[in-house]
Amino acid sequence: MIEAVCVGAVAGGTSILFPTLGELITERSGVINLGTEGSMLCGALAAYIIGIETGSPWLGVVAGLVAGAGLAAVHAFLVLHRGANQIATGLVVTFLGLGLTALFGQDYVGQGVVALEPVAIPGLASLPFVGPVLFDHDPLTYLSLLAVPALWWVLVGTRAGLQLRAAGERPEVLRTFGTSPRAVRYAAVIGGGGLSGLGGAQLATAFTRNWSEGMTVGRGFVAVGLVIFAAWDPRKALVGAYLFSGAIALQLQLQAQGSDISRYLLAALPYLVVIISLASLSRRRLHAAPEALNHVFEHAS
Amino acid sequence: MTTGDDELIVARGITQRFGTLVANDGVDFDVRTHEVHGLLGENGAGKSTLMKVLYGVNVPQEGTIAVQGAPLQLGSPAASRAAGIGMVFQDLRLIPAFTVQENIDLALGGRGTRGERRRLVVDAGERFGMPIDPDRAVRDLSLAERQRVEILRVLLLDAKVVILDEPTSALAPQEVDGLLAVVDQMRQAGLGVVIITHKLAETRTIADRATVLRGGKVTVGGVDPSTCTDDELIEHMVGSVPPPLPAERVPRRNETALAVSGLHVAGSDGRPAVRDATFEVRAGELVGVAGVSGNGQRELLEAVLGVRHVQEGSVHIAGVETTNRSPIAALRAGAFGVPEDLVQDAVVPGLSVLRHLALSGEAVPRRGLGIDWRRIHDHVEQRPEPKRLNLAALDRDVATLSGGNVQRVALSRMLLIDDPTLLVVAYPSRGLDIASVRATQQLLLERRAQGVAILMVSEDLDELMSLADRLVVLHDGEVAGIVDAADADRSQIGRLMLQGAAA
Amino acid sequence: MSTHTAPDAVVDETSAGEPDVAPTTHHAPVPPPADGSPHDDRWRAAARATVRWTASIGAAVIIFAAFLTTQGADPVEALTAMWNAAFGDARSTGDTLLRATPLLLAALAVAVPARAGMFNIGGEGQLVMGAVGAMAMSTALDGAVSGPLVFALLALGGAAGGALWALIPAILKVALRTNEAIVSLLLNYVATIVLTWLVFEPWKDPLSTGQAYSTELPDAERLPILWANRVHIGIVVAVLAALAVWVAFRSTRWGFRLQVLGGNPEAARRAGLRVGSLAIGAMVLGGALAGLAGMLEVSGVEGRLRPGIMVGFGYIGFLASWLARHHPLKAVLASLVLAAIAVGGNGLKISAGVSGAAVNVLMALVLLAVLGWARPNKRVGAP
Repeated sequence: MIEAVCVGAVAGGTSILFPTLGELITERSGVINLGTEGSMLCGALAAYIIGIETGSPWLGVVAGLVAGAGLAAVHAFLVLHRGANQIATGLVVTFLGLGLTALFGQDYVGQGVVALEPVAIPGLASLPFVGPVLFDHDPLTYLSLLAVPALWWVLVGTRAGLQLRAAGERPEVLRTFGTSPRAVRYAAVIGGGGLSGLGGAQLATAFTRNWSEGMTVGRGFVAVGLVIFAAWDPRKALVGAYLFSGAIALQLQLQAQGSDISRYLLAALPYLVVIISLASLSRRRLHAAPEALNHVFEHAS
Repeated sequence: MTTGDDELIVARGITQRFGTLVANDGVDFDVRTHEVHGLLGENGAGKSTLMKVLYGVNVPQEGTIAVQGAPLQLGSPAASRAAGIGMVFQDLRLIPAFTVQENIDLALGGRGTRGERRRLVVDAGERFGMPIDPDRAVRDLSLAERQRVEILRVLLLDAKVVILDEPTSALAPQEVDGLLAVVDQMRQAGLGVVIITHKLAETRTIADRATVLRGGKVTVGGVDPSTCTDDELIEHMVGSVPPPLPAERVPRRNETALAVSGLHVAGSDGRPAVRDATFEVRAGELVGVAGVSGNGQRELLEAVLGVRHVQEGSVHIAGVETTNRSPIAALRAGAFGVPEDLVQDAVVPGLSVLRHLALSGEAVPRRGLGIDWRRIHDHVEQRPEPKRLNLAALDRDVATLSGGNVQRVALSRMLLIDDPTLLVVAYPSRGLDIASVRATQQLLLERRAQGVAILMVSEDLDELMSLADRLVVLHDGEVAGIVDAADADRSQIGRLMLQGAAA
Repeated sequence: MSTHTAPDAVVDETSAGEPDVAPTTHHAPVPPPADGSPHDDRWRAAARATVRWTASIGAAVIIFAAFLTTQGADPVEALTAMWNAAFGDARSTGDTLLRATPLLLAALAVAVPARAGMFNIGGEGQLVMGAVGAMAMSTALDGAVSGPLVFALLALGGAAGGALWALIPAILKVALRTNEAIVSLLLNYVATIVLTWLVFEPWKDPLSTGQAYSTELPDAERLPILWANRVHIGIVVAVLAALAVWVAFRSTRWGFRLQVLGGNPEAARRAGLRVGSLAIGAMVLGGALAGLAGMLEVSGVEGRLRPGIMVGFGYIGFLASWLARHHPLKAVLASLVLAAIAVGGNGLKISAGVSGAAVNVLMALVLLAVLGWARPNKRVGAP
């Protein structure tokens, strides 16, 4: 059972890890985007439709990336060019994603998916425990695992990462040295939305393999919570994402085994895990927050 | 005037208007190689405005600037930087979360490998007499060290002219000496250095030439400071020599208004900021807190007012223990204050001056479920303090006021309180013109004469020494010494500020 | 570490700040600062605002029509169907008013914490818990009480349910500085699961077969109907609540304190306000208002609990509050507009065969237009 939970955690974790990394990039630049949920939905539907229409799951994945980024661009424009409130705009953008996917997705509900199939890594996949847990997944899952160290390296080891972090700490300093913080933030918000779209694509075409309205059930919002949990560190984001998906996998396993614990309580478990970890960590983690991000929460009107 | 080979910057006829305000009025200014040029003037005289024009932040309505004979594109910091003009801002432009190296890398662009950039920083630091570890986080550095990082960064950007905006205002006397030594190194390396200041002594020590601004106009242009007396310079700065403060001291009373005992307070970063501080302020006594900024002053004042958690020790106000009992307990005991950072800790955006005056911590007059604004308004109108401080109109939104006017709001609010026990004032004269500084000091002294205890932090040692009865000198969060202002001397206090009780 | 900003220091390269000068306007006697600008200006501003709003909403409708066209619907026909569904006859107008009731209360549930500087995105969950609270009260009463008192008790149950749900993020915020926006948001999902559990297990109506729902409220606990066979007294309650909140914001000490807290919590703390209890109080009052909406919906419309009750109401209420810029009276209009769009979705489904959820697009577009364009004085640029 432990193995099944771990396999489920990794397989189901991809669709939460991608948006978490995306939101992490966004927040590191000093912008919060609650539109992640909407970007995920758009990514999921775009991947689903393009997969069916072209027969190529990979074109679908690209479409998912683009759709997620496109929706995030709406957020970026309103927040960065029009000075709109970030929290409210993010939620409205999610609403937009919800509506758009309902509109364009209605003909596709219940259609067969062109799935992104798992690729077992030769040799490694047959290892006991580690094999099924880590080496027998769809390609996007491998990509997400590679994205964690890659993002970490970009943040601490490259000039782009330095500028990204500077935009999130003291944008006026970055501007002093001739880089536009707004340009950096545009890139971060749109890129982050793209990653959320990838998460949605993986959810629809590799994990649940179907499309239904609002199928992300808050994963995008959970990702926003997990970024705080992770103290804006991609390595800890991996832990957070798998904690969330692990809770879901555990719930499914317990249910399958006819456990006495109410399945409703178990269904709430993943959300409670995130809330409780946020509450228990927040005081310590707040110090790690990008400085510019703190201002976002100061203005509720 | 001809442009000689040693002329780095020649600015002519600079006029900068903000709305109806003329901040610079036909200003001529120049900087040569191998020189330190002191730019003197009161707050609001237009010094920073002029430097912002040189640095490309402000776009002047009139005037020209040539750098080494070539015309400078105005209003572009990038163009100014490329022309070799570097500026060290007073509110240092560093990212606290980054290391020294990261802060410098951000400015240098992708030049060279990581190792090469690192060597560049270390080498330049040694060349100019300010060695620095590039891997330390800026948030762990003292203010003087941060300033060095900024100077280093400007130098590494190949600046020919370095503008230092009031670089010594937050430094201890000995740190000032260190900075001036670095400035001298820069002069010997052939740079032109501009120091914005209002301190005459410094100007005399380091500057080859001095320019004085008053009301946006040049009153003295590029003279050798040794050719004028202090009084002449002061007259050029402020118009007339300000009268000295009344020296009469009221015999202090015996009731203890504030007793701080064995106080330990942590800073916002969790590290100890105040350590084992013990002192008293009696009714009718003004105690000044001296120290290099960032040595626990802020935390001490906040702990006294109950806004910061006390880890150990106690605070008693008028005999009532208020330790860790919320700001309300301190207010009830009669302690009111002016915080250090007004924008952060006092200004509520969208609220008028009148509304802010109602936030003194005293109970507001009620009218049904609401507040009797008319009564507050009339009360404020009747009292002399707001007029003496030249308070802005009561219906202005405080968030739109300049720093000095916000300071007037905070001071008025505190001084309008009837019969306080203790006033806790951070930097009372910050941002004020000389008339308001005097008015503030007079009002504080009048309060003292009425038997109010006052605890005051200032970065101006002269102000402290002329107003305070006693000085509590802080060094690294510890009380390095408590001295009577009457028989204190500057260098003794400077040693306490820098070296602590061991001095 | 503090930065020392003298008034004439460079603060921001984008804004050439006014250097400090002593104010020349000496203490001229000023009238007490009510929010008073001359009437002319006020009218001109109002006219400009109206134009901006019309343009914003018009643009949103046009973009929405374009989306409808891509789905093969005739946009004029579809929009007409929406209009008819929302205001076509007494029945549809009744539907719109009926929908506006919970939306208005949910909007107030956002506006009150927003005044104190907090984001309550948990209206959805607080509505659900309000419905649950009302149902729990009804179960506890077991028909023992009737008359007006029973409604007061049900309302109390509903308000308590919503308030308790809002208390969680409020306390976490005050005690542990946990982000209330995210916690309240995630609690929506938990509330939905709690509701599902209740109607599938302990409160399940034994007579229900396929669809799970709870037992029905007795007739004595159903709200009196005012108009068009459907519009219950809740609309009056909601409008009165908006009025009360407006008066409280404008002219009570509590309203002033909330404004100070919302504007600068540190300044509020230093001025001796009890910031913790103020914040918790604002959030809890918001939750209670949302909970009241849940009770009204159960007692006035649904008569019982079922999964999917009031889906999206909390979020639309959030949008309504932002549409109204958290002004309690403008929230009345905003809720009505969004209710009309939501109800119009039914017409869209029937006439154009387009998913009802597609109206979310229109709502979002209206909000985006208003957030991004309908506010001229907003500082545009770096956030």
